[in-house]
Amino acid sequence: MGAVSNVPAVTRRAQARLGILLALPVAIVTAVFFVFPMANALYYSVVDFDGLDPTPPFVGLRNFTEMFTDPATWHALGNNAIWIAIGTAAPMIIGLLVAVLIWSGRGGATYRLLFFLPFMLPGVAIGIVWGWIYDPVNGWINRVLNAIGLDGLSRGWLGDPKTAIFAVLATAIWATCGFVTMIILSALRNVDVELVDAARIDGANAGQRLWHILLPQIMPVFLMVLTLTLVGGFSVFDIIFIMTGGGPADATEVLGTYAYSSAFQLNRISYGTVLALLITVLAVPFTIMLNRLQRRLSLQGLGA
Amino acid sequence: MKKIAFVASAVLSTATLLATAACTGGAPGTGSEDVKQDTSGQQEIRYMIGQPEDPADLELIKSDLKTFETKNPGITVKLDVIPSENVRTVLQTQLRSGQGPDVFGYDTGPGFAGALAKAGLVYDLTKAYADKKWPIYDFAKKRVTFDGKIVGVPSQIEEVGVFYNKTLFAKYGIAEPKNLTELTAAAEKLKQNNVVPFAVSDKEGWQGGHLLSMSLSSAVGSKGMDDLLNGRTSWNTQPVVDSLAVWKDWNDKKLLTPSPTAVSYDNANALFYSGKAAMNPTGSWLALDIERNAKFDVGFIPFPAKDGAGIFSGGLGSGTFVSASTTKADASIKFLDYLLTPEHGRWAAEKLQDIPAYPIDTNGMTASPLFKQVLDDSAKIADGTGDFGYNIDVLTTDVFNNAMWKGIQGILSGQGDAAKVAAQLQSAYEKSAK
Repeated sequence: MGAVSNVPAVTRRAQARLGILLALPVAIVTAVFFVFPMANALYYSVVDFDGLDPTPPFVGLRNFTEMFTDPATWHALGNNAIWIAIGTAAPMIIGLLVAVLIWSGRGGATYRLLFFLPFMLPGVAIGIVWGWIYDPVNGWINRVLNAIGLDGLSRGWLGDPKTAIFAVLATAIWATCGFVTMIILSALRNVDVELVDAARIDGANAGQRLWHILLPQIMPVFLMVLTLTLVGGFSVFDIIFIMTGGGPADATEVLGTYAYSSAFQLNRISYGTVLALLITVLAVPFTIMLNRLQRRLSLQGLGA
Repeated sequence: MKKIAFVASAVLSTATLLATAACTGGAPGTGSEDVKQDTSGQQEIRYMIGQPEDPADLELIKSDLKTFETKNPGITVKLDVIPSENVRTVLQTQLRSGQGPDVFGYDTGPGFAGALAKAGLVYDLTKAYADKKWPIYDFAKKRVTFDGKIVGVPSQIEEVGVFYNKTLFAKYGIAEPKNLTELTAAAEKLKQNNVVPFAVSDKEGWQGGHLLSMSLSSAVGSKGMDDLLNGRTSWNTQPVVDSLAVWKDWNDKKLLTPSPTAVSYDNANALFYSGKAAMNPTGSWLALDIERNAKFDVGFIPFPAKDGAGIFSGGLGSGTFVSASTTKADASIKFLDYLLTPEHGRWAAEKLQDIPAYPIDTNGMTASPLFKQVLDDSAKIADGTGDFGYNIDVLTTDVFNNAMWKGIQGILSGQGDAAKVAAQLQSAYEKSAK
């Protein structure tokens, strides 16, 4: 039993209308860009749609069952795990170190531009250019190795199943580091320098100052970048698609490329949809967890 | 109470959305007779094609469309060019939404045009064939006939074999190989002279289908290929294993481009054009590019068999189709009719080096010796006098092709062996047949 409002009914209705009006744009955007696509995906996941049949048969959970018993899914997931582990850790560490170096006065605008440049290039262009660099016949990596007498190491980097995923990953790390550097550099501008100086006077070395003084202060921003990089690892597609197409013989297949090839090369739209849903289901908990952590740290007054 | 109302509202909203989603399966053409036709005097038909490899070809196509428009006042053609690798997804989506092109170029195999025909997305041209008496070769007509309906116009005949650099062969005293042993010996001699023997690429994967088509067609002959493709012989048999093993053996001996699965089709072709590679196992569609880019004499031979010269893998490439939901069927058929005139066929052969799937008069035609050879060979496919194998991937399903492409990538990247891939091919064949 709620308390009786003193506000006249006419005003209450006007307020309600205004409230609805103000919430409407957000509701529409949410419906169009999230609820509707998600409902659509759920529908396609329970039918067997080949991309052409307007009345695909209902198959219940068969696509999900197949996905969990499909060795190719687990293989792709394994590659995603490698990608997430190395593809998140490497740019975060490199980006942090480079940002700290630039922040501490060892680099100017030129360095900033140099490190940020790869992030400004389109993924497709990066993939194509690095494809040339890795080319087994004319690529400069093999040329350099041959020139310095290390021809035993030269190989078809993207065609060898032992090196292909790491070769693509190296390109992705190169492309991502600039973004991480720039964001962390922005956060470092708000760091309390007196604390750093005090730590230095107290005898803390560079590593200790980074770990105990700088990192806690930029932690919310660091977590935000970490979230973006991590989620990018689950949904990685373009660079692998351009550089190897998931090959050779599935060696670089990740969930994104497997979903694409299932949907558009094998005409199994429903199976591709289920794989795409798996990416979402795996990525969302990490995003929520890191977001909550970031918010909690911000509320505690930590960080830039 | 509020909570119950909220849950009920959420369930209702979700149900509505799911129901809406269920209705988004598309609205494909329901059949050519059911679509109301546009009878206006001036009509524009939309013609969708994949981006040609050479921009010069696109200019030729545009000039050809102008010729059609001049000859057919009242009809204009809007050319829609999209990247070849996107044709499948773009086309399927557009056709399903009822917003597709009126006329489009597409592959003719069961996984391509066959799938569109099965879904009722392509116009039934059976009556047009009867009315216009289009002189398409019977073998080609069969490739665009599904469930008794002729749904497309085959565009070009192709053959797959080995292009070789005659100048390099002469330089190293190598004669044109007459069997598999001679071809291997030639490759080894070239390698000793620091020339890449075969410009083999398999980064994209589809090239693997051509490699197997060549070695297998020559090993088992046209009847053997018929038996395999029609399920009378298992793919898990010794000739298939041996035909796959040839490529593994050559890759192990480093007779192919280093790491072929890392080399793109264009890059392998560039190696051949530059003279760094002596042979290029691919299809006759490359003849024009070879003519434009290679500064040496080029020969074209079938992939040899163990005990003889072998046979070309031949067949049909792409075709031209009309959307089932077109509102300009008459204009579209007029356009197809134009594409099938003897004059147009001769023009396509001379300018684009396309070999039409209908007879053309080649007397006095300007053609390089290489293209003249391809043209003569193709005529033998068409009239049935030659013994030709098949280009496998245009006759098989997506499931089979996927197994073949990935299997051969596996062989060339050291992940699989010939026997294992042959077993996978049989398994994929059985899966497709279900």
